[in-house]
Amino acid sequence: METKNAAVTRKKERRSELYRKLGPLIALIVLMLIVTVLNVNFIRPANLLNLLRQVSVNALIAFGMTFVIITGGIDLSVGSTLALSSALTAGIIAIGVPPVLAIVSGLLIGAFLGMINGLLITKGNVAPFIGTLATMTIYRGLTLVYTEGNPITGFGGGFAFQFFGRGYLFGIPFPVIITTAAFIILFVILHKMTFGRKTFAIGGNEQAAYIAGIKSDRVKTMVYAISGMMSALAGLILTSRLNSAQPTAGTAYELDAIAAVVIGGTSLAGGKGRIVGTLIGALIIGTLNNGLNLLGVSSFYQQVVRGVVIIIAVLLDRKK
Amino acid sequence: MKKYIGLLSLSAVLALSACGAATLEGDQSGDDGEVEELAAEDITIGLSISTLNNPFFGDLQRGVVEAAEENGSTVRSVDAQDDTATQINGIDDLIQQGVDILLINPVDSDAITPAIESANSAGIPVITIDRSSEGGDVLTFIASDNVEGGEMAAEFIIDLVGEDADVVQLEGVPGASATNERGEGFMNVANDRLNVVESQSANFNRSEGLTVMENIIQSYSDIEAVFAQNDEMALGALEALEAAGMTDVIVVGFDGNDDALAEIEAGRLDATIAQQPYEMGTIAVDTVYDYFSGGTIDEEIGAPLELISAE
Amino acid sequence: MHVEMKGITKSFGENKVLRGVDFSLHSGEVHALMGENGAGKSTLMNILTGLHKKDSGKVLINDEERLYANPKEAEENGVSFIHQEMITWPDMTVLENMFMGKEIKNKLGWVQTKEMEKKAKSVFGELGIDISFDRTMKTLSVGQQQLVEIAKTLLNDAEVIIMDEPTAALTDREIRTLFKIIRQLQKKDVSLVYISHRMEEIFEISDRVTVMRDGVSISTKDTKDTSYDEIVRHMVGRDLEDYYPEMDNAQGEAVLEVRNLTHLPDYEDISFTLHSGEILGFSGLMGAGRTEIMRGIFGIDKIDSGDIYLDGEKIDISTPNDAVKRGIGFLTEDRKSEGLILDFSVRDNISMTAFEEFSKGGWINDKEEEEFVDLLIKRLTVKTAHMELPVGALSGGNQQKVVLAKWIGAGSRVLILDEPTRGVDVGAKREIYNLMKELAERGVGIIMVSSDLPEVIGVSNRVLVVHEGTISGELKREDLSEERIMTLATGGE
Repeated sequence: METKNAAVTRKKERRSELYRKLGPLIALIVLMLIVTVLNVNFIRPANLLNLLRQVSVNALIAFGMTFVIITGGIDLSVGSTLALSSALTAGIIAIGVPPVLAIVSGLLIGAFLGMINGLLITKGNVAPFIGTLATMTIYRGLTLVYTEGNPITGFGGGFAFQFFGRGYLFGIPFPVIITTAAFIILFVILHKMTFGRKTFAIGGNEQAAYIAGIKSDRVKTMVYAISGMMSALAGLILTSRLNSAQPTAGTAYELDAIAAVVIGGTSLAGGKGRIVGTLIGALIIGTLNNGLNLLGVSSFYQQVVRGVVIIIAVLLDRKK
Repeated sequence: MKKYIGLLSLSAVLALSACGAATLEGDQSGDDGEVEELAAEDITIGLSISTLNNPFFGDLQRGVVEAAEENGSTVRSVDAQDDTATQINGIDDLIQQGVDILLINPVDSDAITPAIESANSAGIPVITIDRSSEGGDVLTFIASDNVEGGEMAAEFIIDLVGEDADVVQLEGVPGASATNERGEGFMNVANDRLNVVESQSANFNRSEGLTVMENIIQSYSDIEAVFAQNDEMALGALEALEAAGMTDVIVVGFDGNDDALAEIEAGRLDATIAQQPYEMGTIAVDTVYDYFSGGTIDEEIGAPLELISAE
Repeated sequence: MHVEMKGITKSFGENKVLRGVDFSLHSGEVHALMGENGAGKSTLMNILTGLHKKDSGKVLINDEERLYANPKEAEENGVSFIHQEMITWPDMTVLENMFMGKEIKNKLGWVQTKEMEKKAKSVFGELGIDISFDRTMKTLSVGQQQLVEIAKTLLNDAEVIIMDEPTAALTDREIRTLFKIIRQLQKKDVSLVYISHRMEEIFEISDRVTVMRDGVSISTKDTKDTSYDEIVRHMVGRDLEDYYPEMDNAQGEAVLEVRNLTHLPDYEDISFTLHSGEILGFSGLMGAGRTEIMRGIFGIDKIDSGDIYLDGEKIDISTPNDAVKRGIGFLTEDRKSEGLILDFSVRDNISMTAFEEFSKGGWINDKEEEEFVDLLIKRLTVKTAHMELPVGALSGGNQQKVVLAKWIGAGSRVLILDEPTRGVDVGAKREIYNLMKELAERGVGIIMVSSDLPEVIGVSNRVLVVHEGTISGELKREDLSEERIMTLATGGE
């Protein structure tokens, strides 16, 4: 009798778990159908590729943010990290460093900036919100200092660097390929490797994780470094695409990234989340932006719609 | 590991580019053929505005929309919210919609280039408004003569406070062509005949205009005039000066938006170099019709500019 | 007030929690309600206070059928429930806490602090409580907070007070104070329902005892007419003549040596040796510093000075990771906030300490992990429907087994168990003792910190008694008695 009950509850749990996982995906599909009905241009392959390319920047930042939020933290500095690492990379290219090497150094700069966040939070015991709020303005300030407030343009970089943000490989925009690769790697790290387990454990109960022998400070520092590196990667794509490193690039991008993570079903309380959800969350936001543009909706209403979607996503998640 | 994948894929790309599998955005050249003549009611105009948070660009948008509607054309507009990446994405969306012509008011002259190249490769003609583009093929560039406007402002200040007076300049978004040109015009005159004690950016933004001015007042209490490179900053500076009791300082703005005109009426703001954004919009739409009826278009089109003061 | 509950039944979904319970409460008596976790004690009391609705049966109050709509209504009618985990506002004052939601106001809505102080003072006076009204709640000890909660119920003229495990987190002195106050309440004709696992307390304080098992009331007796053995028998449904397993005294080499460990003001100059295969009991009063010593050894808190040797080799432990790497495990006193991640599955909790057992180069082998966890679940007979169930859904005893499984899985050679049977029911306790014995037989050295004297005496090979941060004595198994331990624990010779 009791085992039967257990089997029933297990089945129910699995079903609700399935709904929880599929919820955002269903929402995305419904949204795409609605936009398609209203403007058939939406579903054309050229526009879908265009959409994916637009999503890639936010998706990359949101992937990193997912790790941070799973540990129960937050990273408000992503937009500024993006701008600073982009500006420095543009500078590095301008002095004649080969583009591939410059890209690698750009990513390392991003990881380093993220690591500073991590050290502030772990060694300095600063609350993530406050710590990254501070570095958000520090990194932005440093960007303006370095660029003297002017965009860096005409730094060249040759075909390889231009290809990074503007290239097509077999007809697929290169940023989309990068994003896919980053997704696969981060998915494996989060869900198939011990590092991911430790990330979840810290978010679930940091003290219990610490006592279980998990080096929580080290894991958290690395998580913030990942977030920084993803922001830098997004920044490189943007810089290559715009052919210019903008000192104000990435302003308020942290909000879109957090929104993507939350819509994807990751809990801000930490300990729960999936990077697949974040990808879908980023696609939902991208579809909204692209779709509403196609439908000719004013940008003022677009902001209202985006907020409403976030609320609906969170409410639906709570219901389950 | 990520780095290796990056390196690998980049080298793979380089290899593939040799075989033609890897291409760049804007590589495919558009059709350079004859202009297809279109009647006004068959034209769909795509409009990309830098930010609708500034009434100036709101007026510009209204000029375009109203002129187009009057003639039966359709306008699709997107707002970049002052973000270069958002602007590019918005323009991509307009291209996907198959608009016949693009009117672009760039956030940044450099960063807009890829979007214009995309439009070029899609065979869609582009007109830039108020700010130019550094690259890509543009049909024409419609703007007020900002250099001349800057000069007009400086002359006006000299008329009122005389030569060698201490003045302050509030600059716009760094790197924007309006910032560069208005500054250039102002300094052309001011360099020799005025004493510019401070020149700082307040990003074309009213609240920044207020705070930047407040800070400047701390170090310079005997300035005689302020030139703000747009009205929003001028109105912010005005508040700062009034709060400090410095109501006799001459303030000159740029753009001639509704708020500024009202303040001139009320005698608080001394002058503005009025751009006529609405006119700019209608001129742009007229240019569109010229183009589609086979007319020749000048490389640059000047929009009327006038100094408005209380007298 | 006289309460009579007859034939109460209650199901949650398909789960029958109460299957016909009879319970009565006379005016002015202390009635102990006992039973293993899950026997239905809390559900029964929650039906009385209106949190849950009964499916069938009768509730009579002063011989009239009466049901409260919700706990607030029950409170207003003089029936208060003080839960084990009290709800307080830690940053507000004692006075504000007492009058939360029931502030005395004048016509303009101004809060009348003077009035409230006067009323609170009279209640504190009656009970002989001496706590300043201006202190914030968080500066009070758990015991003091409980006294405030009791005083709060009297503001509502409580006639029935239900206390769930009131002494779980109290020091011995605070327990004395609580009992004194309970006697005061009795004099005022207040009736008390006293839910507890602690047998000694039941015999000291209660007038009658009702034992519940599996949703049925098994027996109600006058306390003086029953016995420890009888109550245990009723609770578990069988005799437990061999409650503590026979302990083997064979011991091996010294595994863990602690020399002059000091961290002022918590403890000073702590030295002892733990042998492999030994169960070393740590006894003492609450607050004597036992838990702090263990946290120092394990690297959770810093130590001022002192050395730790493992297998004769000096080791440096500055974080728990250092301890875990060297094969030391620590079952903490507070299972919920430090031992487990309650939202996480049984599997995730067990595998947390032992990733290298089923991963290579950071890659987890899901199948190996599943086998690893499954083996531990079976070995420790953790009762869970499946390993993906959140550990928070398990009973206290099974949660504790999960924590043990975690450390056994990590291959710990030294296990520090801080109150391993707290909040665990009688049946599961015995399983935990057997497991400790089995581990000791396989050469694991075990330190057991416990406040339960019969347990310390029943399980330990040797006992160290801690008094005010120092070791006040060592007792061999043959010398163990409650009196000897208490004498050393209170600083006597």
